[in-house]
Amino acid sequence: MNETVREREVAPRPRYLQWQTVAEYVIVVAIVLESIFFAVYAPQFLSLPNLINIALSIAITGILAVGMTAVILTGGIDLSVGSVAALAGIVAAMVAGSSAPGAVALAALAALGVGLAVGVFNGVMVARFRVPPFVVTLAMLTICRGLAFVVTDGRSISDLPPGFALFGREVFLSVPVPVWLMLLVFAAGWFVLKRMTFGRYVYAVGGNREAAFLAGVNIKGVTLLVYVLNGLLVGLAGLVLASRLGAGVPNAGNQYELDVIAAVVVGGTSLNGGRGSVIATLWGAVFIGVLNNGLNLANVDPYTQRIALGVVILLAVLADQLNKTRGQVIA
Amino acid sequence: MRLNVYALCLALLVGATSVLSGCNKGGGAGGKRIGVTLLTREHVFYKDLEAGLKEAADKAGYQLIVTSGDMDLAKQQSQIDNFIVQKVDAIILCPADSKGIAPAIEKANAANIPVFTADIAAQGGQVVAHVASDNLSGGRLAAEYIAKAIGGQGDVGIIGQQEVQSGLDRETGFKEEMKKYPGIKVAAVLNGGGVRDKALKAAEDMLQGNPNLKGIFGINDDSALGALSAAESGKRNDLVIVGYDAIPEAVKAIQRGSALKADVAQQPRDLGAKTIEAISKHFAGQPVEKSIAVPVKIVDASSLK
Repeated sequence: MNETVREREVAPRPRYLQWQTVAEYVIVVAIVLESIFFAVYAPQFLSLPNLINIALSIAITGILAVGMTAVILTGGIDLSVGSVAALAGIVAAMVAGSSAPGAVALAALAALGVGLAVGVFNGVMVARFRVPPFVVTLAMLTICRGLAFVVTDGRSISDLPPGFALFGREVFLSVPVPVWLMLLVFAAGWFVLKRMTFGRYVYAVGGNREAAFLAGVNIKGVTLLVYVLNGLLVGLAGLVLASRLGAGVPNAGNQYELDVIAAVVVGGTSLNGGRGSVIATLWGAVFIGVLNNGLNLANVDPYTQRIALGVVILLAVLADQLNKTRGQVIA
Repeated sequence: MRLNVYALCLALLVGATSVLSGCNKGGGAGGKRIGVTLLTREHVFYKDLEAGLKEAADKAGYQLIVTSGDMDLAKQQSQIDNFIVQKVDAIILCPADSKGIAPAIEKANAANIPVFTADIAAQGGQVVAHVASDNLSGGRLAAEYIAKAIGGQGDVGIIGQQEVQSGLDRETGFKEEMKKYPGIKVAAVLNGGGVRDKALKAAEDMLQGNPNLKGIFGINDDSALGALSAAESGKRNDLVIVGYDAIPEAVKAIQRGSALKADVAQQPRDLGAKTIEAISKHFAGQPVEKSIAVPVKIVDASSLK
């Protein structure tokens, strides 16, 4: 059965012409081009501190984008990531500030716990009750944002112990901890999706649900697990966010879902499910991170920046569509 | 396709914010009666504004009927309806929605009740006077503070929020004042969206792009606190950051000697007093300025003692 799934994946075309390879190739070229452009316009752009800065700026989006990639691969979507990350960060900040023994470690567990709980909820609603993921997570978006304000009474939770800076502000081997965490998450995401049977099932569920079902894939189980793992990553992102800000902030993470979905889509993962990869998402996140950073460094006014980002997302999806239809006999 | 549906749903969601109507009763005899509908009663700013209004109204012998719109347009509309039914002599309004409140103001106009807005302006309807903090001068004060603190030399940046008028005014005031200092260049203006996480990212880019950056002006405290997070993780405690609003968290950061050195503080009590003053003038048949700017002040570690 594992073989059935794999057969679908291996296209008759040579590896270098496969859809995914082409998509990754295009985005990498785009990153190189935009980097050259910004290096000319902003002398600071190519400095090592700035490159680390770019990595830091995409760390939270990146962590979220790995989970989102898996969710989108199943044909789903998660709109709640920003709100849930904010809520997880707030809960972590509350625990960290409680002066209980081991407060910082407990805070980390609490953040993951919040993410896990929401992930289980989303997963059960989608997998067991077949509520469209769009609706479930849209509801969670508003519920968790509301909770974030209710729990904090609209004020930030600050005055955290110095140890809480570990997840967001500390630097290990000249690279900030959030960047290490992001790289770790990407590596884990790649391994799970590409090297584990479970990962192949994820592709199968989104690629051809009926075929997956006939092949005996536990569709409900796979879907549920994807949302649960995604929830854990959202919790982790919330922890990093709160640590970076040095506070649990109720309005933090607003519209992160858009940034995250943009990274996934620009990377080339199809919103229809079944096609894409975590590595492509990493490139998508890098591309957007470089774009935001370069425009800021070149002092492009904020209005124009928005237009640029919108155009880029549009082009990426257009490229995806062209790529997809070209190989098909019947459009 | 999915994104389309998403956009549509978000738009619907925003449009269909919950509607709850409230009903507050006031009234009584004696003196002129003024109906007040505040934006909220939960913020310190509005509590102080209310205190300023009450104090001045007591002195002038007016009776205030104070209600809170709780940031809910529908609630505020019904409060204004009530004021019209009660035939108050004037209405003071802090709109929950500048445009959406216009029909309610027009109703009051039709009933010949003069309307005054405080803190937040309305768009539409006849308003006798709008009383608000002087955001331009707030920006100037921030610029002056940073200029002095960095000795009139070096690059400075602004973490702004260009989609909000008050934010733009603060930014403009800051830039204008900085023109007086030939040694200082406003090297970067970025949008922090008025929220901390976006301000943090913007400030990090700003620090990377401008190695000679010495000062940052955050057009509100979340912008300034985001910049402070960037300064602290970048070990740039030498920066001079100035915020706006002096919320408790910012005050704490100033007092502990962080890079956040000062804050522009609005004076809500004065705002309340000036509003009553404008109403008194109007009652006396004197001309009233359409737009009244209430001065702001700057606070730092020494004045916060």
